[in-house]
Amino acid sequence: MKIYDHVQNLRARVGTIQILVFVVVAILGVRLYALQIVKGDYYSERAENQRVRLIQIPAPRGAIFDRNGKLLVDSRPTYNIVISNEAFKSIDPRERVDDYSRGLALERQFVVERLNLLKKQHEFESMVLKENVNIADIAWVEAHSLEFPELRVELQPRRNYPLGTTLAHVLGYVGEISPKQLEQDEYKQKGFRPGDIIGKGGLEQYYDEYLRGRPGYRKVMVDSRGRVQAELERVEPQSGQDLVTTIDLDLQLEAEKRLSETPTKRGTIVAMDPNNGELFALASAPSFDPNIFVTGSSTPEGRKQIAAYWQDEKRPLYNRAIQGRYPPGSTWKIPESLAGLQQGAISVEKSNLVCGGGITIGNKFTRCMGSHGAPPLSFAITKSCDGYYYRLALKMGIEGVIKMVEDFGYDKRSGIDLPNEKVPQTPKSWMPYVVKREGKWSDIRTVYSGIGQDTVVVTPISMLHAIAAIGMRGKQYTPHLMREIKPIAAVGNEGESNYFPARQGFLYQNTEPRMLVAADDQWDMIIKGMWGVVNGGGTAGAIRMANFEIAGKTGTAQVAELGKDTGDKKDHAWFVSFAPAYKPEIAMVALIENVGFGGSFAAPASKGVYETYLAKRNREQPSDREVAAR
Amino acid sequence: MAAIIEKRDFRDFDWQTLLIALLISFFGVWQIRNAAPDETYWSKQILGIGIALVGFFFIAFYDYRRLIDLAPVFYAVGLFLLLLVLTPLGHESHGQKAWLKLPVVGQFQPSEFVKIPTVLMLAKYFGERRTSVLRFREMIVGGLIFAAPIALIMLEPDAGQAITYFPILAAVFFLSAIKVRYVVLAVVAVAIFVPTAYIVGVKAGVIKRYQQERINAIIDPDSVDPRGYGYHTIQSVITVGKGGVTGIKGDTETSQSVLKFLPEPHTDFIFAVTAENTGFIGCISLLLAYAVLLTRMISGAREASDRGGMLVIMSIVCGMTFQIFMNVGMALGFLPVIGVPLPLMSAGLSAILSTFIAIGFVVSVKLRRFVN
Repeated sequence: MKIYDHVQNLRARVGTIQILVFVVVAILGVRLYALQIVKGDYYSERAENQRVRLIQIPAPRGAIFDRNGKLLVDSRPTYNIVISNEAFKSIDPRERVDDYSRGLALERQFVVERLNLLKKQHEFESMVLKENVNIADIAWVEAHSLEFPELRVELQPRRNYPLGTTLAHVLGYVGEISPKQLEQDEYKQKGFRPGDIIGKGGLEQYYDEYLRGRPGYRKVMVDSRGRVQAELERVEPQSGQDLVTTIDLDLQLEAEKRLSETPTKRGTIVAMDPNNGELFALASAPSFDPNIFVTGSSTPEGRKQIAAYWQDEKRPLYNRAIQGRYPPGSTWKIPESLAGLQQGAISVEKSNLVCGGGITIGNKFTRCMGSHGAPPLSFAITKSCDGYYYRLALKMGIEGVIKMVEDFGYDKRSGIDLPNEKVPQTPKSWMPYVVKREGKWSDIRTVYSGIGQDTVVVTPISMLHAIAAIGMRGKQYTPHLMREIKPIAAVGNEGESNYFPARQGFLYQNTEPRMLVAADDQWDMIIKGMWGVVNGGGTAGAIRMANFEIAGKTGTAQVAELGKDTGDKKDHAWFVSFAPAYKPEIAMVALIENVGFGGSFAAPASKGVYETYLAKRNREQPSDREVAAR
Repeated sequence: MAAIIEKRDFRDFDWQTLLIALLISFFGVWQIRNAAPDETYWSKQILGIGIALVGFFFIAFYDYRRLIDLAPVFYAVGLFLLLLVLTPLGHESHGQKAWLKLPVVGQFQPSEFVKIPTVLMLAKYFGERRTSVLRFREMIVGGLIFAAPIALIMLEPDAGQAITYFPILAAVFFLSAIKVRYVVLAVVAVAIFVPTAYIVGVKAGVIKRYQQERINAIIDPDSVDPRGYGYHTIQSVITVGKGGVTGIKGDTETSQSVLKFLPEPHTDFIFAVTAENTGFIGCISLLLAYAVLLTRMISGAREASDRGGMLVIMSIVCGMTFQIFMNVGMALGFLPVIGVPLPLMSAGLSAILSTFIAIGFVVSVKLRRFVN
């Protein structure tokens, strides 16, 4: 040290600073060693995890067709605007609300809700901000890619129901899997993830595993704002399998039209081929638009509309054909007639029972609508004589009625390939409750059960299921909507990770029909009575068709006591039928809510569908031989 | 100037110090290129080094004693520039009004340069032959010389720059015979004051929420919200760790800085880029190069022919050491994120120029070690 100082040990002080320099370097070196050598692999992996991202490529769902190849449902490509969560991390949502709502014409409140959801749910990689956007929205996002790098436009196949409310109850709709479903084992095992689209209701739900495709994915490298820099790997998706239904769109449209022309516009018409159970039409009114459920859940208007559907007193979401339970009224007399003959309560030779204008049980008189003397079975059917069936039910006893319920399968679901079918309620199911409460099963209940009231409420589909079997003289087929599931080819290279094997197509496998056993003359007797209902001056004489012999039975389901049955409390009108009477090609059930007598609205509605069917058949299959070959 | 440079000058010129500084600078250019291969920061940095060399040689061959004599003038000009920054002439970036945009000269950061006048001013005041321990009056005057630029810089506000001034004063006091008990007292005070100030600051709301989070990110990086203000620290640590032993060997396509996970890679976080690209080997080499550079500077101070020269060198050494510690400590995730550039490495004309000028003083002092 050159500078001479008395008062300080300058050399030592400079030396201290020199040591300090070495200490600093040593501290930094030790820390470097810890980060790079001890934990190098860990950070290397973290870096990779944050830059490599899997982006799902959604698979289009299979389309749905009617029996003639007319399109009922498809998926069309739409564009969504999504927010990348990774890029959004460093952004204050409040700064963006106004920009998004102005630029994309979204309600401010909706944007706030969406962004709050995004901030809460860390596990999501991205979230849809606006669905099904137009060119202007896409242009806006692209023009602002520097200011809002977190936004991107994504292609997404969207389920499309071109017919709107038509056939809605059969088709169902699709939507994001709910958090509740995600917790159920059934869905867990199949590897569902949040945001997956699944069928909800109808065929969409019932055949979901076939309709649903297998999503592919892209493994991409992204920058800190989630912008894709390079694609590392790509696995193409496999589309879902197409579904061909048994529905004939023309008959379906006619059935829906007929329902809409009734005074209450509420009810159901179901038409089926009794020879195999294929459903030609299944209409339930009022209906709903499945498109609202697909697009609506993300917009305030859509959610309002969905809520309105749920709250509507007319219950548009409810499939009256399989979920509605109504007293069958006089339509119940048809299965009961067969049961009476089978059980020997009456016979072909001696089928007459007294009408008496009604019956007295204890001190209560229950009347018949007319005074029919002591009619034979066919006449009792044609004129719908209540007195006859009061006595038949008493002769059969409640055990006989329960046997009939079992024979016709009213104690089970029909087996239609739709979810949420209801089981009818019958004396069989009521017996334990009634006996528990009242101590015994009283005769008056047996009498009422003879005309399809009181302890009997059935679904229209169960009624069709039974009546078609009468037309087929005992052969009872399961009603169904699926005709064929189409095959789909394999995707990718076998043996590699991107391989999805081909999926087989198949036809509906009809099981052996249930058999209701009766003698030919017994069948003749019942069918003759039903023929008379339309063609022999019966309760539905007004719908007689010259060239097509309909066999049917009207029914009036009492909603309120006699005298109060007006307005909303009017009776439900039934008409069950098949045609032609002795070689049925089509069977039908029509139920119109709260319009009164069955002959006045349900039968004419059915006639419209028969006319459409006939017109179509004559156009398509003019030769008798072909008809006979069915 | 040619008259000033004599043959002897070349003989005694400290070429090795210059060589080390240049090596570090060009290593820095390479890292700046790694940080942003598609940008022109690295070529601008080469230009910056060229300009800085001109400044370096000018200062190195000039007699530093004359410059120390002129210190009040430089000091006044420096304060004037710092004032100008606060006028509408000042240019704002990242919420700090720290730059001046002047015609011809272009954009520069006065707070980087004013360090040198401050050092010279302190050297002038404390450079007289010492006969006694540091007196209270001297401490007050020193404090005032120091406080004026600090106050102006805090108005920008640029806490990162302001903080780099403290070691200059500390070095000057320490080497001006401040009593050892005061040194001990200061160290103890800092050890107590820093945590206390933090706790009190949080309670009183003086320390803002983002500042808190930046500090929490160091204390417990795993529990901090990785999307919040701890983001910089976490990304920097990941980047450093990813480098491993040998670095990513030029695979810049997946690098943290190219994918923009690492913020400010060519300036504040240049060390993280170095760590990712060259690994432990590169980083340790760089730290050793700094150690050699600083050691050579300290040896220059030991050989200085007067107190003023010694003080100039030592305050520059302390300033640089402190900056290296703050910057690398931040990159390694154990010091809070404060915008302190890494000397000779971080991109930026002002920083590289002022650093080379500072080294120029060191060389100038060394060059005149035999002159009396």
